[in-house]
Amino acid sequence: MYSYVLLAATALIVAIFLTPQRHKVWTATGIIATAAGGALWLAVRTFLEGEIVIARFTTSLFGEESLVADPLTSLFLAIISVAGIATVIYSRGYVESYLKRYSPAHISLHYTALMLLVVSMMLVVLSSGGFSFLFSWELMTIASFILILFEAERQDVRRAALNYLVMMHIGFMFLVIGFVMLYNATGSANFDAIELYFKQNAPLPLFVILFIGFGMKAGLFPMHIWLPEAHPAAPSHVSAIMSGVMIKTGVYGIVRLMQAIDQNTELLYTIGLIVLLSGIITGLWGVILAAVQNDIKRLLAYSSIENVGVILIGLGIAAVGHAAGSALIGMCGMCGALLHIVNHSLFKTMLFFSAGNIYSKMHTTAMSQMGGLAKQMPITAILALFATVAICALPPLNGFISELLMYIGMFNGVSDGHEVLYSVAAIISLSLIGGVVVLAFTKLYGVVFLGSPRSTHVVECSEVDNFRIGAMVIPATFILFIGLFPHIAVLPISEVAVAVTGGERAIAIDFFTPTLHTLSYVSWALLVVITLLYVAKVRAQRNRKIEEGATWGCGFTAPNTRMQYTGESFSEGLENIAKSLTKNTVDGRSVDKSEIFPTKHNYDIRHKDKVDSLLGRWWVELMHRLNEYVMRLRTGRVNSYITFALVFLVVVLLLTIFGVI
Amino acid sequence: MLVKLLNTLLMIVVALSITGVINRTRALLAGRKGIRFMQHIYNVRLQLRKGAVYSPTTSLLFRVAPCVYLGAALMAFLFIPVADLYPLLSFNGDIILVAYLLALSRVALILAAMDTGSSFEGMGASREALYGALVEPALMMAMATLALFCGYSSFAQIFETAQELDMNLTVVLLLVSYVFVIIMFIEAGRVPVDDPRTHLELTMIHEVMCLDYSGIDLAMIHIAGWLKNATIAMIAANAISVVFCFHWQFAAPLAIFGTGIAIGIVESLRARNKLSRNTTYILTIVAMSALVLLTGFLLMQNIDI
Repeated sequence: MYSYVLLAATALIVAIFLTPQRHKVWTATGIIATAAGGALWLAVRTFLEGEIVIARFTTSLFGEESLVADPLTSLFLAIISVAGIATVIYSRGYVESYLKRYSPAHISLHYTALMLLVVSMMLVVLSSGGFSFLFSWELMTIASFILILFEAERQDVRRAALNYLVMMHIGFMFLVIGFVMLYNATGSANFDAIELYFKQNAPLPLFVILFIGFGMKAGLFPMHIWLPEAHPAAPSHVSAIMSGVMIKTGVYGIVRLMQAIDQNTELLYTIGLIVLLSGIITGLWGVILAAVQNDIKRLLAYSSIENVGVILIGLGIAAVGHAAGSALIGMCGMCGALLHIVNHSLFKTMLFFSAGNIYSKMHTTAMSQMGGLAKQMPITAILALFATVAICALPPLNGFISELLMYIGMFNGVSDGHEVLYSVAAIISLSLIGGVVVLAFTKLYGVVFLGSPRSTHVVECSEVDNFRIGAMVIPATFILFIGLFPHIAVLPISEVAVAVTGGERAIAIDFFTPTLHTLSYVSWALLVVITLLYVAKVRAQRNRKIEEGATWGCGFTAPNTRMQYTGESFSEGLENIAKSLTKNTVDGRSVDKSEIFPTKHNYDIRHKDKVDSLLGRWWVELMHRLNEYVMRLRTGRVNSYITFALVFLVVVLLLTIFGVI
Repeated sequence: MLVKLLNTLLMIVVALSITGVINRTRALLAGRKGIRFMQHIYNVRLQLRKGAVYSPTTSLLFRVAPCVYLGAALMAFLFIPVADLYPLLSFNGDIILVAYLLALSRVALILAAMDTGSSFEGMGASREALYGALVEPALMMAMATLALFCGYSSFAQIFETAQELDMNLTVVLLLVSYVFVIIMFIEAGRVPVDDPRTHLELTMIHEVMCLDYSGIDLAMIHIAGWLKNATIAMIAANAISVVFCFHWQFAAPLAIFGTGIAIGIVESLRARNKLSRNTTYILTIVAMSALVLLTGFLLMQNIDI
């Protein structure tokens, strides 16, 4: 069987390499679409018929393993398929400008890696555990590494890719240790065996090890530092699929762990607290760092971290509620978290696509160069606004639905007296996250798309091709659907939640459906009211005098575009509060307060993550220090070197005399 | 149905009259004759009849934003009961929807302000976004306190059952309504956080964001402001009504006069905060709402045992 799979894979890769340069994308699209179609079909069948075993085989390392599709897998298969198709369609437009610059082998490698990434992610969620899981996990890492390296001639890209590869392998090491521990104790490395392991052994060490392994991929604090480096380096469609879907495979692992603990109430409680706490820290850290960034893709990367945090808050509340005996809280938290996984994959894909549209026209992702892009790229602007409203979790779009479900769980925790303090902690952090997300994304949208241009490049921009627009419309459709028909969208989600937590299906039907049905009416009503107001306004203004006049400069007669608020100044208030979280590097000098007539200044500030220097850079620092000591010996004079040689010889002589050597 | 209509009608009265009460209180305290009670409504009626001036910098978003602002505020407004009456709309979990609808209206105005490309409006937008982010936890916690006491997460149910609440919680409920009133100061852009009457754009928050609006758009923003005021004022008044077992006959006047006079007095007697002090001020409210929630929780535990 192996040989057939290997042969088929080779054939597909060769097919990509043999296709002419311009049409490679269509070969890749064909392959990914076929895989996605198969995965979707499998997902639908799983929902209708229940668990499906696709293949069973024996691995040399961990024994019997299988590819199984259950409801949780199906949910992820659906996300991967949709994002995969959107990504490959998007890449048609994005890669086009690179076709002349790069060799056919380069482009082929890119598409091969893209195909491998999609397929390996599907395999990750299908594998029942052990060797096949770790193999697909590693395949996923390597495929994404190659994808990040697309613009390999840029030094920052190579550095980010290497950083990514190292971080992922540290995580991978933890996973290997975890699975070996599991195999040693139970004789099987499948996810099913975890439950057995937790019954027989001390559960926390294995949980923590696997949690770190999965958390590295998911970008949990403080293992998130690879995300803001990798995303700006990768091409936008790669960032989209990595951020929208790939980091969710880490969350998938965590959900699988929670599924295994489901029966053990006491342990579930402890683990719920761990998950909740790490969710709160990750979410708050991510969102505050996102709000102070001045680079579109870094902001989006931090926002992905924040969203993973939100998902974990939902999972944590679900676990705590479930352990405390409240099925309602468990269901709400789990459904909210699972729906948020879907939602984030949709709007984050869209946002990275819009970042890609901007990058391909502006050739930069620095917000300080932009402004007023809505005039040059109107369709991108509208779609990006859509995603912005969705990611701010505002009604009537999908982000609100998942957060509402989580909030309902938490508020029920408060009102029923179940775990009030944890629910309150979750409410506070989720609402604070929600508030700062609004700040971060109004900053992003306002600075990039609105106002007047901050550089001359903006005027030369134009709308992107239809493939890229089309790729953005795919997630937009789902965003709108989930937002306007939440009672339908929640049905499959609650099915998955029931399968994961062993919760009661009745809650979903009795509680969610009426609530979300009303919410659906309210969302429609909101849209209708806004439309009516706008139509009424336009009709009323038809016969009136509508003038154009320059923006009110508050009495100043010569305002120019450089006086606009920049992204940096927009988030200044938050920066003052959150000073201790960032390490700022400043190029140039800001205008001093005592300068009455300021001259020309250069000012470039970067907000680096403090964890970055704490975790990632300390060993570099150490090496530098050591080098300083060693450098003292390098005097540059021949006589001192001869002295060193003499000292060395004397030491060796003495050591021999005393019989040490 | 009649109850719902009565409720909506009362809410509209509340929305229309709070600004009037504020203006009259301020005039009285300053010893001026002051403007008419209905003057703000006449002003808006005038604006509704006017044309408009749009800056060439702005895009379509700038023209749609007031509609979103008003639409979202209107939807939030329809969820609020007057004491034990029943609001037009209600479902389990609507307290969250109301908070997020207010956030939606805020986002619309922030983006519209950024769309003008003006440094002043950007300034207002930046402040509004920060204060909005900080006030959100306070709002949620105040609502969570109510949910804790009443065991429900929809406004209608909370204030319906709250009528039979234990008197031990009086202090906490008074504090909750205090928190709501302060939140109203912040959301409505009133002294001590913001001063709607200031003439200096540099120190404005809310007012500076609508500098470029005129005619119908400005009228919409004003109306939405009234609705938002009424929404939060009514919640605060409801919390007080619970303490004294007031029904709607008293709750509605309480919302109008209580909050109106409170804002009027505060605006007459104290100066606006220094802008750099505002974050501290809001964070104090957040801390206070957390404290209120905790106290409430401890009291509830005592009662149960």
